[in-house]
Amino acid sequence: MKTIGLEHLDDLALGSVFLATGGGGDPHVPKLIAREAIKKYGPVTVIHPDEIDDDAFVGTVGSVGAPTVSLELLPSIDDASKTLDSFEKYVGRKIDAVASFEIGGGNSLIPLVAAAGKGIPVIDGDGMGRALPEAQMMSYAIAGVKPTPAVAYDYSGNTAVFDVATTEVYERHIRSYSMAAGGMITAAEHPMTGAELKRSVIPGTLSFSVELGRVLRENRGQAGKLLKPLQEIFEPSIYGECRLIFTGKVIDKATRIIGGYDVGEATLEAFDGQGPNLTVNIKNEYLLAKLGDKTAASVPDLITIVDFETGTPINAERLRYGQRVSVFATGCPEFYRSEAALKVVAPRCFGFDIDYIPLEEL
Amino acid sequence: MRIGIDVGGTHTDAVILDGDTVISTTKALTSADVVSGITDALDTLLKDGGATQDKIKTVMIGTTQFTNAIVQRKELAPVAIVRIALPSGRGMPPMVDWPDDIRSAMGDHVYLLHGGYLYDGYPVADMRDEEVEALIKDLLRKKIKNIAIASAFSPMNAEPEKIVGQKIKAAIPDANITLSHNFGRLGLMERENAAIMNTALLPFADKVVNSFLGALSNRGLTCPAFISQNDGTLMSADFVRAYPALTFASGPTNSLRGAYKLTGLKDAIVVDIGGTTSDIGVLQGGFPRESNVVIEIGGVRTNFRMPDITAVGLGGGSLVTKSGESVGPLSVGHKLVTEGLVFGGDTLTATDVLVASGGADIGDPSKLEGVPKETVTAATKTIHHILDQNIEMMKPGGKDMPVILVGGGAVLVTQGLKAASKLHRPENAWVANAIGAAIAQIGAESERMISYRETSREEAIQVVTRAATQRAIQAGAEASTVQAVDIEETAIPYMDEGATRLRVKVIGDLAAQGSGAAS
Repeated sequence: MKTIGLEHLDDLALGSVFLATGGGGDPHVPKLIAREAIKKYGPVTVIHPDEIDDDAFVGTVGSVGAPTVSLELLPSIDDASKTLDSFEKYVGRKIDAVASFEIGGGNSLIPLVAAAGKGIPVIDGDGMGRALPEAQMMSYAIAGVKPTPAVAYDYSGNTAVFDVATTEVYERHIRSYSMAAGGMITAAEHPMTGAELKRSVIPGTLSFSVELGRVLRENRGQAGKLLKPLQEIFEPSIYGECRLIFTGKVIDKATRIIGGYDVGEATLEAFDGQGPNLTVNIKNEYLLAKLGDKTAASVPDLITIVDFETGTPINAERLRYGQRVSVFATGCPEFYRSEAALKVVAPRCFGFDIDYIPLEEL
Repeated sequence: MRIGIDVGGTHTDAVILDGDTVISTTKALTSADVVSGITDALDTLLKDGGATQDKIKTVMIGTTQFTNAIVQRKELAPVAIVRIALPSGRGMPPMVDWPDDIRSAMGDHVYLLHGGYLYDGYPVADMRDEEVEALIKDLLRKKIKNIAIASAFSPMNAEPEKIVGQKIKAAIPDANITLSHNFGRLGLMERENAAIMNTALLPFADKVVNSFLGALSNRGLTCPAFISQNDGTLMSADFVRAYPALTFASGPTNSLRGAYKLTGLKDAIVVDIGGTTSDIGVLQGGFPRESNVVIEIGGVRTNFRMPDITAVGLGGGSLVTKSGESVGPLSVGHKLVTEGLVFGGDTLTATDVLVASGGADIGDPSKLEGVPKETVTAATKTIHHILDQNIEMMKPGGKDMPVILVGGGAVLVTQGLKAASKLHRPENAWVANAIGAAIAQIGAESERMISYRETSREEAIQVVTRAATQRAIQAGAEASTVQAVDIEETAIPYMDEGATRLRVKVIGDLAAQGSGAAS
């Protein structure tokens, strides 16, 4: 994939919701702003991490805040590029290309808005390969790239600069700032060289998400028929295994906010009521799926719930009692199965008392 | 006594109810002008002799006219859209994601103003008098009278919308204005969309309400008139002049409510079998279970709630294969009366199978001689199997539930349904939607984003309930009967603990002094 134009945005957004595993926020508004930006500035050049010079200068950009709040606080077309302007001013260097925090959800699209406005390429890759709830779970952080210096930019052009010791502190501070600035800000962070990018990025996820969206669109309809086309695209990719682990209806869903996260559990029952129920644990994302007492899939592997009738992925916030759904489990990129990654993304990091077993060994 | 009328795409159904008793019913084809169909229905009902005009205390009408106007881009007036949210949303104007044809039907009169609020009540920006003055000047110059106004977080603080609305009204006294906060829900773009569509329908709404009231008074009915909303509750006819968009998709709701009324079952599955599809919905506490997916009307995203309905391609006109193993989803539809075998046509339909099995006496059964017995048996089995499967999917988990069959095609079910704990076939089920319209109450809702850390939960629920109650009374409810029927609390991620979206829905009886046809 050489460029991303208007014709790719619907597929990118749809694919990104599948990879968001229930989190990541609704990409509808980010998609609209990306569309307006590409209409105004033209298509965005996409470059694979391998193609970038080792001494190039790369940053990441995206929205930080509460997706529910952004239902009222709409983004502006130049927010993301102006964030990069401030970032360049602060670090004293021009950015050669921009990458995404997380391919899952709305932040798959914000780098396009920035890149279009700045006239620079976007990196085909991101810092998660999915969506995860905290900044220290990003591949950049796991590979030792510092998130700061970082710049946050609010809806009226106020900027704040962060220079902190750890990713955990950065996460805390930028969330507080976001709440003080109306609940949603744009941030540029993780300044790094091309060489650092190559060892910390999950490669190819931007073009993969477009392809995944195309597959979901072309196979729209009952979820059971989706498995084969999904396997055809996942198996040769960095994700690998893809399984349909359950089909049924939501008979219970209860979540509450703990420490700013939407935490809880959903219970699914087969349409005919036969066999064990599937329980899905949620912390913004779908993190653990158990069929009876048996683990069917767990973080960092991907668990995606789709509408049974249409195959459209359903965000955890929108999952409701009575919905008829299918549940897919997909392997995660090798990067997230390394010892360093599992230190921050294994099931125990989310409070589940189980060891991580890769999907294909379950 | 009450009259309920449901104007659907194909049929206009009408009933007279005396308390819970059905006095008379009629079902006729919907006329192109809608009104003559209503007049005909009234004539049939009143001629039946069960009631005289003076006994009728209220008339309730369900109509798809406003939905159709949006879907067909007809009868839409040019609209000026005023969004008060700058400096947020620059480069992302109203209607940015609308289909081109409906956007151009509205004209391209967009005004962006500074102002609005954040989630915590802090202003997005101060409002600017000179912007409002320039807006009014331009409206006067372009002679635009229909104006939609939306400001950021107006469900929590509607001041900006009200201020701009008042200033416009002062300068343009005959302006038709919709303020988006009257559509309650959070989501600026969706609320704004609802306000724009509503505004575009305002002149048409006047026409429709006048013609409804005209038809009623023509037939000597001077009682108050009400119109169904999408949640199965009513608005006074005059309220519809201001909020026509609230009628979107009231049809399925009325059929579910009618099924409730006919059986008294508060929790049940309702299967409405027509000519082409079977619509399966769920009654919860006597009201339809709502869907949670984004609802598009004519390609425009809205935040309206609609009943959770699964439409299965199975009805009286469904095509049946020779083996009988496949029934539907293709259907001859309203051509059943010419194409079905029993009507002398040459297409094997579900109705033919029904007649062949002895389940009904329709048309000419001698035309079915060439249909093998095995086909009939297999097709009958298929029909029941399709319904069983889809009912299982809609049924709340682990519960035995009764099934209520309504609609003209309900006769297709000749055997029991495994998915049903009990099968109900109420009398008059063929006009369930008109009955649903006739029994409706007045409803309203309100929504806020609230922090339980700052406001106690009890107090928050009180505040929001009060706002919803106010709205219900305005729409024609008797104040003393209004009560909360649904409280929805949604925790908001990435915010303080206790940050919650709180929505309250209230319902009340019709006030004795309605504001309908009397005028």
